[in-house]
Amino acid sequence: MSQIRPCTYVWFILILLTVFAFVVGKLELGGITIIATILLSTLIKGQMVADYFMGLHRVRWKWKIIMYSWLLLVIGLIGFAYSLGLK
Amino acid sequence: MVNSISKSQPQSDLPGDFAIWIFIFAELLVFGIFFIAYAFARSYDVELFNASQSTLTREFGAINTIVLITSSFFVVRAVAAIKNDSSQICVNWLGAALFMGAIFLVIKMIEFYGKFSEGINMSTNTFYMFYLSLTFFHFMHVILGMVILTAILFKARQGGYSAKDHTGVETGASYWHMVDLVWIILFPLIYIIR
Repeated sequence: MSQIRPCTYVWFILILLTVFAFVVGKLELGGITIIATILLSTLIKGQMVADYFMGLHRVRWKWKIIMYSWLLLVIGLIGFAYSLGLK
Repeated sequence: MVNSISKSQPQSDLPGDFAIWIFIFAELLVFGIFFIAYAFARSYDVELFNASQSTLTREFGAINTIVLITSSFFVVRAVAAIKNDSSQICVNWLGAALFMGAIFLVIKMIEFYGKFSEGINMSTNTFYMFYLSLTFFHFMHVILGMVILTAILFKARQGGYSAKDHTGVETGASYWHMVDLVWIILFPLIYIIR
């Protein structure tokens, strides 16, 4: 019997988070909590793709830190810009 | 827990050719600036951005996200196959990934055609300027990624890669995952959050 690979679980979680984001978009929900939740789920998705699809979970920290910094900086600044729009 | 994982897995350098990673980090920098520019531009005219965003077909965005994630998953399987010295299986997974890439392009072209048919272009408003330029820029990256994957597929079919020599497959795979990663941020940014 073949074992389910870790990348299959990762793929499934990524699909679930995408469906969650789609439902939120379909309902046209807004507000700081919704924005924070969607951005957090995007951060998780990005980290999962980087770690498990790109294989960065096996590489030295000096390389990982570039990718993690990019994700945190871009998603963090998007969140900050959206919070300005709420005022 | 983290320590036990890192001790059990040897730390290594980046997968694939190092040159592709310079390219990947440069691409991420450009896309990152684009995303941040979109978000700050939106803060000056939230109502316009929200109204324009409502005209987008979110189903297209969501389906394309699922398509690209699945395509990336197929590429992971292609890399695993070649590491196992299974060239034919690697070719099959790459073919499946390319098929998903083609689906992405078709859906995106339907979306572009719909917008252009409605008379929408980059001059319509700031939202559409960002929407069209960002998604078209990404569209071009999908095409480039597919060209790279096709070249790898043909070489793999000729037995050009093995368990010992599969740097080329990892190089193409890394680029394809970057294309997926960028879309993962682009999708909620353009289609969802408001």
